[in-house]
Amino acid sequence: MVILSRHDHHRCESCIDRLFTLGPAPCPVCNKILRKLAFTPQTFEDLEVEKEVAVRRRIAKEFNKRMEDFPDLRSYNDYLEEVEDITFNLIHDIEIPETEARIAAYRRENAALIELNIQREEQYNRLLKEQEDAERQEREHRAAELRRLEEEEREEREKERQELIDKLETSDKDATRLVAKSRADALRRASARSTAAANSFQSSSKLLRSRAAQNTIVPDAPHVPLQDDWYAYEDMYILRDNYEDPASEAVRRDREGIMKAGGYRVEEAWERALRSAIAGLEIMPAEGIRTVGS
Amino acid sequence: MDAVEKANADRQKRWAKEQKIGEGTYAVVYRAREIATGRRVAIKKIKVGQFKDGLDMSAIREVKYLRELKHPNVIELLDVFSSKTNLNLVLEFLDTDLELVIKDRSLVFLPADIKSWMAMTFRGLEFCHRNFILHRDLKPNNLLIASDGKLKIADFGLARDFADPGYKMTCQVITRWYRPPELLFGCRYYSTAVDIWSVGCIFAELMLRTPYLPGESDMDQLKTIFRALGTPTEDDWPGHTKLPDYVPLGQFPRTPLRDLFTAASADCLNLLSKCLIYEPRRRISTKDALNHPYFFALPYPSHPSKLPKPAAKANSSHPLDEVDGNVDLSGLGPGVKANPPNKLKRKVSSDELGSRSIARRLDFTQHR
Ligand SMILES: Nc1ncnc2c1ncn2[C@@H]1O[C@H](COP(=O)(O)OP(=O)(O)O)[C@@H](O)[C@H]1O
Ligand SMILES: [Mg+2]
Ligand SMILES: [Zn+2]
Ligand SMILES: [Zn+2]
Repeated sequence: MVILSRHDHHRCESCIDRLFTLGPAPCPVCNKILRKLAFTPQTFEDLEVEKEVAVRRRIAKEFNKRMEDFPDLRSYNDYLEEVEDITFNLIHDIEIPETEARIAAYRRENAALIELNIQREEQYNRLLKEQEDAERQEREHRAAELRRLEEEEREEREKERQELIDKLETSDKDATRLVAKSRADALRRASARSTAAANSFQSSSKLLRSRAAQNTIVPDAPHVPLQDDWYAYEDMYILRDNYEDPASEAVRRDREGIMKAGGYRVEEAWERALRSAIAGLEIMPAEGIRTVGS
Repeated sequence: MDAVEKANADRQKRWAKEQKIGEGTYAVVYRAREIATGRRVAIKKIKVGQFKDGLDMSAIREVKYLRELKHPNVIELLDVFSSKTNLNLVLEFLDTDLELVIKDRSLVFLPADIKSWMAMTFRGLEFCHRNFILHRDLKPNNLLIASDGKLKIADFGLARDFADPGYKMTCQVITRWYRPPELLFGCRYYSTAVDIWSVGCIFAELMLRTPYLPGESDMDQLKTIFRALGTPTEDDWPGHTKLPDYVPLGQFPRTPLRDLFTAASADCLNLLSKCLIYEPRRRISTKDALNHPYFFALPYPSHPSKLPKPAAKANSSHPLDEVDGNVDLSGLGPGVKANPPNKLKRKVSSDELGSRSIARRLDFTQHR
């Protein structure tokens, strides 16, 4: 199938297929929402082009040798070159009888291989299609499962609400306690659902298997608490328990206890002042302010 | 144009904005490229003008702190320039955030994955705290994930440095579900412990796959916390009843974490409980957390490259442009199909290439 598009940047059919497997999608280049329909084949106004297409179609049918059919890259390249020559001649009506004779000779010599490659191609296409079908089914299965879970979740929430109302009407237990219990139950169920949803895919998907396979490639390493070159001048000062610090006197007294309750730590302010001062010791005096003779 | 304006214009020209990729409370984020190298970056354009002097405090904070912080688990600020009345922060580009990862129900989290995210979060936060900076808006949505899986703390719009003694700080920080009880009680003097509470909530959310303490209002938030962790007593949290906005909210019993986190290891729940201690001064510090047995126990934290991630959007990672081809020895797949003759598979030195009119955009192989 030939693909021409106003979106010049899409050319390769497999890319387009991949892009639209889940329906309309934004073009990765220009971000316009596109539909696969926009890529239906078009007929060419330019007859020259149309002719070239026809010729190439015809040639591709029989000149279908693969790289593995050749002993080396060189002979494969020679073959490709010959195919190009023949194609060129046919398109431009050059030496038609001789060219047709070359094609006929090729056909005779390679009849078996041509047939084999046609079969290989068909088999490959079949395989590809089966794979795509399987993947589509898997996707549909997942989507259905998610929908089911969401529906269940909705019903459950509704049920909970109703139960709570019923209980509040009939029970003489403390209302806040009932609400609390109902919420705790709801949270537990929501969480169970989320993890169950994830786990239900676990078996059906290849995810865990691929994770296991990855393990042999990138091994997990033991934990290292800090990984940067941590240095905070800690060898250069000792933080005392207390300082003569009028600015923080009120804070330290903290008559109401509210700074303590809020977690404010005057020690953090002290540590910061100390560390900043010590870090400053390392800063060289500015260049250019040199004393005579140095 | 004066020298400053010119310098700014030159900086601006280094980056090419592409498309909008996100919107936060006070900023619009765009995908962009460094023109010279093609490197992908993000530009965070900050809506300026909420403050009378014309420059938003959040913007100033974000620039101020990110300038100073360079760490593998903190988002990197590459450049800053202004345009019209906006301030533009050029940031390293990150693929996704932890909220999207948590919400993607098709992803399975292994215990080792959670451990890895937690270690990276604590490392980034330890670095902030070591540099005397409080983040004050930690939540899954502000933990961004790079393409190699590394987690980076982002969005320093609410960050500030430790207050000097006696200076009040605002308690209107941190998104509600991740806000610690001392801030909900209106405390104006607080510390690094506020960030630790948020990390505890994120930790729990990673295990539950749903927010742990989803209060519906500020008042309900406290109740939600107490329902989960029990109403604190004076022993649990000395002095809390004196905090400015304290109100009694009723007695709720404490339910053991084990009841809710059924699959977690003992180490794991121990660390979680230490992040959620009521008394801020007793809450665990980043450094102690990183040295907690949970991180050293088996399983080892997952290597970042293996962490689960939402499937990539059909984005530009795969080049849609055809690759100009000479014969590709590695492409032995479907033979001719992968190397269609129309692509002029010829010898490298095909110098008559130009003389032949071959429509290079067409795919001539028979696909159907
Ligand atoms: N460096 C980045 N790379 C990719 N996306 C980003 C980056 N920074 C921010 N974003 C996206 O933009 C959103 C808003 O950014 P954020 O810094 O959190 O702004 P705000 O402070 O307004 O909340 C994020 O949730 C994220 O989706
Ligand atoms: Mg944000
Ligand atoms: Zn397009
Ligand atoms: Zn392609």
